[in-house]
Amino acid sequence: MKSLLREMKDTFGKNDDFFILKEHFVNAPVVFLGFKSLIDLPKTLISIQKNMDSIFQSDKTFDQLMHWIGEVKVNDTKEALSAIVEGKLVILLQDDKDQKYVIVEPISQVLNRSIESPTNENVLQGPLSSFIEDINTNIGIIRKQTNSERLQIRSYSVGTDRKKTLSVLYFENNANIDLLQKIVKHIESNLEKEINNVQDLSKMMGFSPWLAVNKFNMTELPQEASKFLVMGRIIMFVDRIPFALVLPGLFWDMFAIENDRNFPVPLMLVFRSLRIIGYLMTLILPGLYVALVAVNPEVLRIELALSVAQSRDGVPYPALVEMILMLVILELIMEASVRLPKSIGPTLTMVGGIIIGQAVVEAKLVSNLLIIVLAATTIANSTLVGFQNTLSTRLFKYIIAILASIYGILGIMGGLVLTCTYLAGLTTFGVPYLYFNMKKEEI
Amino acid sequence: MRTFKKLRVIILISFLASTLCACWDNKDINHRVLPVVLGISLLKDEYKLFLQIPQPSQGTIKTKVVMGTGKTISQAVDKISTNMESSVDLLHLKVIVFEKKLAQKGMKDLISGFMRSRDVSPKAMVAICDDDINLFFSKMKQSSEPQGTALLEYFEKNAGWNPQIALTSVWETYRSIHSYTQDVAIPMLKIGKSTLVEQVGSAVIKQGKMVEQINSDETLLFNAFNDESTNGKIEVTHDGSVLILGNKMKHKSKFINEKAYLKSKLKLKVSILETTGNATLESIKSDMEKLLTSRFNKMFTKLQNSEADILGLGQFYRKKIPRKELKNWRSEYYSKLSMDFQVQVDIQNGGNLITR
Amino acid sequence: MDRSFQVVIMYILTHLSLIFFLYPRNIIASTDEGHWIPIIIGLLFHFVTITTYLKGLSYFPKKDLINIYLGIGKGVAIFFLIPTTLYFLMIIILTIRAYSEIISIVFLSKTPLWAIMAFLLFMSTYLASKGVEAIFRTGVLIAFLFLPLIILIFCSSVQNVDWHYLFPIVDKEFTFFTNSSFYVSFFAVGGGFLFLGFIPPFLSYQRKKILIGALFLIPCFVLSVYIPILTFGQATASTLLFPFVVALDTVEMDWLIFDRVTMFFLMSLITFIMLYISLVLWKTIRIANVCFPSFKPTFLTITLSASIFILCLLIPNWNDIERVFLWNTYLRFYVMVAIPISVFYFGKRLRKE
Repeated sequence: MKSLLREMKDTFGKNDDFFILKEHFVNAPVVFLGFKSLIDLPKTLISIQKNMDSIFQSDKTFDQLMHWIGEVKVNDTKEALSAIVEGKLVILLQDDKDQKYVIVEPISQVLNRSIESPTNENVLQGPLSSFIEDINTNIGIIRKQTNSERLQIRSYSVGTDRKKTLSVLYFENNANIDLLQKIVKHIESNLEKEINNVQDLSKMMGFSPWLAVNKFNMTELPQEASKFLVMGRIIMFVDRIPFALVLPGLFWDMFAIENDRNFPVPLMLVFRSLRIIGYLMTLILPGLYVALVAVNPEVLRIELALSVAQSRDGVPYPALVEMILMLVILELIMEASVRLPKSIGPTLTMVGGIIIGQAVVEAKLVSNLLIIVLAATTIANSTLVGFQNTLSTRLFKYIIAILASIYGILGIMGGLVLTCTYLAGLTTFGVPYLYFNMKKEEI
Repeated sequence: MRTFKKLRVIILISFLASTLCACWDNKDINHRVLPVVLGISLLKDEYKLFLQIPQPSQGTIKTKVVMGTGKTISQAVDKISTNMESSVDLLHLKVIVFEKKLAQKGMKDLISGFMRSRDVSPKAMVAICDDDINLFFSKMKQSSEPQGTALLEYFEKNAGWNPQIALTSVWETYRSIHSYTQDVAIPMLKIGKSTLVEQVGSAVIKQGKMVEQINSDETLLFNAFNDESTNGKIEVTHDGSVLILGNKMKHKSKFINEKAYLKSKLKLKVSILETTGNATLESIKSDMEKLLTSRFNKMFTKLQNSEADILGLGQFYRKKIPRKELKNWRSEYYSKLSMDFQVQVDIQNGGNLITR
Repeated sequence: MDRSFQVVIMYILTHLSLIFFLYPRNIIASTDEGHWIPIIIGLLFHFVTITTYLKGLSYFPKKDLINIYLGIGKGVAIFFLIPTTLYFLMIIILTIRAYSEIISIVFLSKTPLWAIMAFLLFMSTYLASKGVEAIFRTGVLIAFLFLPLIILIFCSSVQNVDWHYLFPIVDKEFTFFTNSSFYVSFFAVGGGFLFLGFIPPFLSYQRKKILIGALFLIPCFVLSVYIPILTFGQATASTLLFPFVVALDTVEMDWLIFDRVTMFFLMSLITFIMLYISLVLWKTIRIANVCFPSFKPTFLTITLSASIFILCLLIPNWNDIERVFLWNTYLRFYVMVAIPISVFYFGKRLRKE
């Protein structure tokens, strides 16, 4: 059996940010071990020194001192290794008999960003703090927001090679016990799986990765997360993922956010109906254009029909191809503007605007009515809550457009039925995606 | 299980591939022509068709008139479609114009054909052309109206409609062909000397055939009888002219001893526009009443003689006559109907000037 | 959990989809005057059947029709369930074939019939394969989307009504009893209530609310016949294949940006039909699953749909559809009368024990 020191040197010795510091505590030789990149060594040493001095005066034994500074462990090599990787300071007591060491919580390097405003969601007249990568800060924010004794937190350490902390939060009396037990069972049976992203988490929960809709609801805002807890849902935090993952994610979450309640009720109702109208418009408008122009022009009024025919004069391909071409270009622009650094982004917006706006219409590649329809669709798409939901809706509208080009307005209706069917068939641990409950208290 | 899943994906993909050839009904709107007015005339044994087509070109819309012949309407349309570069779609047809000779011969089959096909909307208006239909359509071509929708606007209630133009659609004509107790009147048009078209009155249609003709003033009474609004019409007596503001009809029907009696009262609200000489309110009123009553009675005698019940008087007797007898309404009871028509004119105001 | 709302919505939707297309023609063809009498008779029959059925089902809480019959005896089960299965199969084939023909006549005349049938069948199969709860949830969503549209258009259809065509109002000879169209018209009345017996294990509902939902359907039944009659008159309406559809065509709505609102009305009804077919498919698969427990439900679904598609292709034209409708009427009367009465009788007998 190697000594602990030897073990440490073998595992970490090649790392240049690993330090081994030999010191003396009250005439007893100790070794400090840790990563320089994770521990702020000078400050930590000073604080330990201060601690030692103040305790020294109260005349305790060496052992008691060690207990006071941190956790004392014996012979547990694995624990020591994982403690160092986590960023803790290990003080090895050079004792030939045992292999005692103390795990001390040091003053860490500031490796987390401060609490800022949310980057993926915008809030109007509401609290602006958002979650960050550090799981403890996130849990702290929730505790502050909720401020209740009924909030329960359970943490797990998952993964073998890359370890992450996974926390499950719930409200004691409100949460669905059945749901909670199922989630815990899934976590506990999959502790060795690695969780680096939401797909891994979905797999751990037993969800199929091929779903078009995300069963988690992801939010950056503490007020939303707190509201979900009160409603009885379960929130999961994963270390280094700056979102609260809410289980189960429901259909209505796309339209209703907690921030609406900062406004009076009529305004809240107006906002929510706007979002519903936006959702329907996103799904229907492209398909409607294709259906009315190509398959069922008798539905349009004669004046409108003539102006549409006029606008399509000279366009070389059928309406469906036109529609899909422009939609793809729009998607490309949106994806590109996410990728580009902030300095080049505006250039692309300008280029995109010019291409789509003027040149493509003047070159008679598409009709200008189509541009209007597309702009309306994109705007309507963005009224939905939750970025992932906008993406799911984007998928469905293609299907409806294709069905519309074959069957006309019947295709649109059929596509809507298909979408409704797909959404109606999703369930998360027994709770259906389309769960409607009139009582606002429960899930 | 794995292979089953793969099989499912393959089936799905092949299904998607089959949709690539699924362009049966898919025809872009700029590859269709959408005629707005259809003209039909009879040429020996064949039908001759005129289609007025608005064509968008270079930012404005021009009108085009195409012609075709065929043994049936569908054949004629098909021939035109063959000869044109885009396919003809009768989906947006708004006005159907029949030539007078054709109307006198009988339109029953044509109207039934329009109702049977889902292309032509049953709401399309029907009109009869009093002139040579070739000239009518060539005049249409020269009209400078944008979009070529001039003839539609003629019948639009929000646009050029007047109370002395009868408004009849295809479904109403079809209904009159089969109904026991109702006939229709179709407006008659002529090429106008300075305007696009000129109103000549209406044709009385019985079972799809034109049997009689009434003039525009009588058409106004016909509209009033059917509770259509007569707002805006100007009536002239030798004492002055008035503007009709509103009308209401009241009917009382009796059926005694196999003879029908009907008492109808027309209440008119008018305002005075112009007076001649020393006309008084009373004189204008009594003049109007006399004029309208005599006009109506003249029209009614004409209608009774031709056994066409365009005023829908039979409707009042559906309760009183059993259904089997109702079939013979026009031949037996209508011609013997005794009508007591009264007009009550109510002068609402005299405009800015005081009239006594 | 009480899901009466979902069940009532589904009930209303399935009946609406059946009423507006073929029912007016059958009633108008069955008699010359006094149409309200056959309508009332049909409705009374409907109410009596439903009340008996629901009362019978209430004696077997949380059990569906298959389990009830199997609990009494295998022979009884075979006697009642085999005709029911046959009935369901015929309904699916008929509905898909007839409605594809209707779609072809009314809007898409150039699309081949097999494509329309494949479309309808695919939607319904997909929905049926998701299970009954998904069907009901989809029903609620679809109702939320399309019911307001339907109600709006329905209310506007009274625009061209001439009340005089209401008379003569009484048919003293009751000629409709001898007319086969009258009996065929019962498909709208009896076609959609059997599902109430298949869902108790999954969803619970209150009897009263179903009856209230049925009350809501009464004006729809009456108006779907009377609006064409009042607009066109009996003589004209009897020449039309789809009187209600043509009556809707005559309505003018100037303020809407669309011209032919009939299209939206009919399309919404077609989506309800998809729901109806998926429900009947699901019921058939349930029964088939009991008979062949070794096969997985998904496999059964796909085989069933494929065979139905092939059978639908075998019916060549509209007259044949009407003939098959007539054959189905005999089966329908058997099912409509036998099953509620038998359930009621067995339930009462169980109560006595």
